[in-house]
Amino acid sequence: MEQKTVKDNDVLLQIRNLNVTYKTRFGPVSAVEDISFDIKRGEILGLVGESGSGKSTMGKALMRMLPRSAKVTGEMIFDGEDVMKYNEDQLRDFRGKRISMIFQDPMTSLNPVQRISDHVVEAIEVHEPETKKESALKRARTLIERLGIARRRLPDFPHQLSGGMRQRVMIGLGLVLNADLIIADEATTSLDVIVEAKLVDQFRQIRDEFGVSLLVITHNIALVAELCDRVAVMYAGQIAEIGPVEQVFDNPLHPYTKGLLKSVPNIRLDEREELYKMAGEPPSLTNPPSGCRFHPRCPFVMDICHRIDPRLDEVAPGRMVHCWLYEDHPEKETPTIEVAQ
Amino acid sequence: MSNCNEHSGMETLVDVQNLKKWFPIQKGILSALSGRKIDYVRAVDGVSFHIRRGEVFGLAGESGSGKSTIGRCVLGLEKPTEGTICFDEINLAKISAEELRRLRRRMQVIYQDPLASLNPRMRIGEAIMQGLKIHYPDRAAEHRDLVIDMIQRVGLTPPQFYYEKFPHQISGGQRQRVVIARALITRPELILADEPIAMADVSVRALLLDLMIQLKKEFNLTYLFITHDLATAKYICDRIGILYLGKMVEVGSLESVYQKPLHPYTQALLAAVPVPDPHKRRKKEMPRGEIPNPINPPSGCRFHPRCPFATELCKQEEPELRELEPGHFAACHYAEQFL
Amino acid sequence: MTAQMTPNPEVEGVLTTEQWRRDLDRVGFVRRLLLARKWYGGDWWFVVVSAIMLIFVIIVGVFPQWFAPYNPRAEVGPALLAPGEVPLGYVLVTRGDANVTGLIDIAQPSNNIGFVVGTPASQALRDAVNRLKEEAREAGQTANYNPRPRRYQTIEDGLQALQENNIDGFIMNQSDAEAALANFPELVITGGLTEAAGKGFIFGTNQIGQDVFSRIIWGTRIALIVGLSSAVVAFVLGVPLGLISGFVGGPVDRVLTLIMDSLYSFPSIILALSIAAVLGAGIGNIIVAIAVVYIPTYFRIVRGQVLSVKEELYVDAARSLGHRSIEILTRYIFPNVIPSVVIIFSVNVSDAILTEAGLSFLGLGLPPDTPDWGIDLARGQDYLRRAWWLITFPGLMVSLVTLSFSMLGESLSEILNPRLSEL
Repeated sequence: MEQKTVKDNDVLLQIRNLNVTYKTRFGPVSAVEDISFDIKRGEILGLVGESGSGKSTMGKALMRMLPRSAKVTGEMIFDGEDVMKYNEDQLRDFRGKRISMIFQDPMTSLNPVQRISDHVVEAIEVHEPETKKESALKRARTLIERLGIARRRLPDFPHQLSGGMRQRVMIGLGLVLNADLIIADEATTSLDVIVEAKLVDQFRQIRDEFGVSLLVITHNIALVAELCDRVAVMYAGQIAEIGPVEQVFDNPLHPYTKGLLKSVPNIRLDEREELYKMAGEPPSLTNPPSGCRFHPRCPFVMDICHRIDPRLDEVAPGRMVHCWLYEDHPEKETPTIEVAQ
Repeated sequence: MSNCNEHSGMETLVDVQNLKKWFPIQKGILSALSGRKIDYVRAVDGVSFHIRRGEVFGLAGESGSGKSTIGRCVLGLEKPTEGTICFDEINLAKISAEELRRLRRRMQVIYQDPLASLNPRMRIGEAIMQGLKIHYPDRAAEHRDLVIDMIQRVGLTPPQFYYEKFPHQISGGQRQRVVIARALITRPELILADEPIAMADVSVRALLLDLMIQLKKEFNLTYLFITHDLATAKYICDRIGILYLGKMVEVGSLESVYQKPLHPYTQALLAAVPVPDPHKRRKKEMPRGEIPNPINPPSGCRFHPRCPFATELCKQEEPELRELEPGHFAACHYAEQFL
Repeated sequence: MTAQMTPNPEVEGVLTTEQWRRDLDRVGFVRRLLLARKWYGGDWWFVVVSAIMLIFVIIVGVFPQWFAPYNPRAEVGPALLAPGEVPLGYVLVTRGDANVTGLIDIAQPSNNIGFVVGTPASQALRDAVNRLKEEAREAGQTANYNPRPRRYQTIEDGLQALQENNIDGFIMNQSDAEAALANFPELVITGGLTEAAGKGFIFGTNQIGQDVFSRIIWGTRIALIVGLSSAVVAFVLGVPLGLISGFVGGPVDRVLTLIMDSLYSFPSIILALSIAAVLGAGIGNIIVAIAVVYIPTYFRIVRGQVLSVKEELYVDAARSLGHRSIEILTRYIFPNVIPSVVIIFSVNVSDAILTEAGLSFLGLGLPPDTPDWGIDLARGQDYLRRAWWLITFPGLMVSLVTLSFSMLGESLSEILNPRLSEL
């Protein structure tokens, strides 16, 4: 569990042209459409979106844990290898050891009839079968303590722990195997706000200490501002915008991001005294709008937006937007906006 | 139990005095027979406050604070273990079941989960009409028009389209509007809003909040707004009460509580809420430990095991909720230092 | 087009009235049935077929006289005739020099008529004599037609006796007559006694000579009456009890549950048997006996559903609106509990038919000669080798009707589900 040395190539995971389509009674649902982005080593990337944006599907797709009815295409290059091409055995090795997930509901994520120590030890035994039982236990103990749970709680059962503690156990399960990437899928949504704040501190701590990358999937925009280094905004299965968190919050480019940020409540009295009300509702994914999926709600909509879907383009170093305002096209009437560096 | 006329004034719509609600824990036949003492979950353990007509009174707290239970007691949906609830100078404990039922016309509920709170087999128009059928049965001819009007007023147009729909056929935001319409159809005076926007999408919440504020003006409503989201509370509440483990630790106008929190728990709570601005990340340290078990709350001040300012006094003596500034109350022995 | 596809009015302005009228139209029952086809996919035809089968069964049950060619209690043919088998014709053989013109000449009590023992010849003789009596009565004459029957082991013995003038006439089947008489030149065929039926009986005849097909048809009526009535009685008693018990709770609930659980723990046939034995035979008592067996099932299902629905948020919301308890029970709890009961009802009907068949099989049900599947099954069980058709067709009918009810019940509950309108 030493701190990871940062390699020259500091990109941990490259996702290219990821597509996830579910088969449902109502027809094919395109939950994730042509997504490409990177996750760097040791960074905390926030994936923020509303319901139906596809963010949870993204998380599960990265873990290769989608149901059989889902068709997944694209590339996922994790530390140089394409995970999409793994067979079942390789996937089992991959999951838990290199990539780990924390779910929303801490009540049901842990096996109620297994002690906490057994959970952690079993994780070690499954992935590193040569490890002796005592050293596994020792590792478990040290790690759990590092996460702020008293040592004497190890023989407890999950129902004896609070929600916050259970989430920490989940983090522990990810860390004990030195995972490179931990995906937190709405991990703090069901927790109280003080517990959530402490968990935010914990996340930062494990990133600093273990060099682990974090993908924080959430609908809570304030949380992303509090915790993440970079943020990706998802809308209707696509990435609308991605970039360093300060830049995206100070200067949102995509009209959806603009509206979204203005509609988030701010607890500070002197800031944002009124909330912006965005028109319309997120679209149905069985029959998404033509062209750009946001166009029915966009205050800056142009003619081309109805017909053709823009690409996710890099408009400034590290900043990508999926919008015709910033992309050239021969049929555009209005000029393209240049983004200040 | 005290008289409801004590703390009156034309202004006070709801007066809660020393409300306690304890839930007994069933231990099982053997221990009950052996006469062992029953444990109680002390969900609400002595809370007093009042709500003025026309204001939005917020009740904020984390899980186990008792906020939902207080709301239900105020509306007579639960019977208090102790304490008095006065609605418009009517003592809820002293009226008959039938009178309480008729009193419901004047106080309604907006729930957190719109899908769960609507009968899945009842069309929307009919669901909204129930309130009229119960409380105004003699005006049956007008019912449909009144419902259509209300559907329109909560922003669902064309109203006839929504009238015939079932709850699962419309979106979450629209459903919550239906719940609001159902609550308002009897022209109540008090609305208990229990986390009304928590389940709505982020972009829709602002719309719903706006609707609630607008309707408050239109219909002269008073809200008891229960929430765990202090950021949202800022946009709608006039006054706010902070609850911790069944007790009220701070009460006051929204500005005074948010600007100058006088209780360490309030301070921690306000600091814990993330701000949607990456330049303004939290620097304050969070209190140690977690919310204790409401079956066996800590002695003295309930927050003392976690409070950075706790002393021996805090462990032994429970602080009173006292007025430190006009209209601003806090239950802390050392609240003065924060003034 | 799904409901979600309609453009959001907040963004795109007010919808035209035609649009919402069209949408209202979609909610109609027939429309939902057609939409259900998309829901079921391949199963859709299965459902339609079972529905048609069931409707057909019901029509047969209500109007058996349209379908049954014969009176089910009448002995219309020779016994144990196989399906489609043409019954043999029987002829009267006499001495050529006796100058007998027909049976009528030798049908006096002083006459002797022989036949081979154990063959339908005796039946044929009896029928012929009865016919003579009938004709005489109609003509207003009084005559005593009652010849003495003489039984022989073989045709040859009988013909020999006839030749020796020990008997006045001999009955034998037509097809054997020519060959046999070759050896007895003095004997002649005097006339036919029965006509060949021309065509046989579709499902054959049973041991008394009743037409199996007609009995099946008429049996449908009994089965439907008993099945539906007992299901309805059980429903009418079990559902309200379950509703009240689940809603009210407390000691009432405990007592009722205790009673119902005790009833439920009996094997259904034993319970029905006991009640039927106490009440006695008769169709009303059978219905009661079977209904009692099923009341606990309705009770448990409904009570369980009520207990869970009672905790739902919309019931709480209804209370906060100011509804009285009775209104909550009827308008909020009952409609959400009912779908689960529909399936029970259909299974109930099919099971009731089976139970009734079982009771009649054991002799504790309807009067013995009632055209009932259970009774037929009972009477046919000894003839499994010889006359397989006696139990095959009643058994098939029971299975068929049971199946139709079950299948239809399941599909009904889906159709009643308002979520289907999502399509």
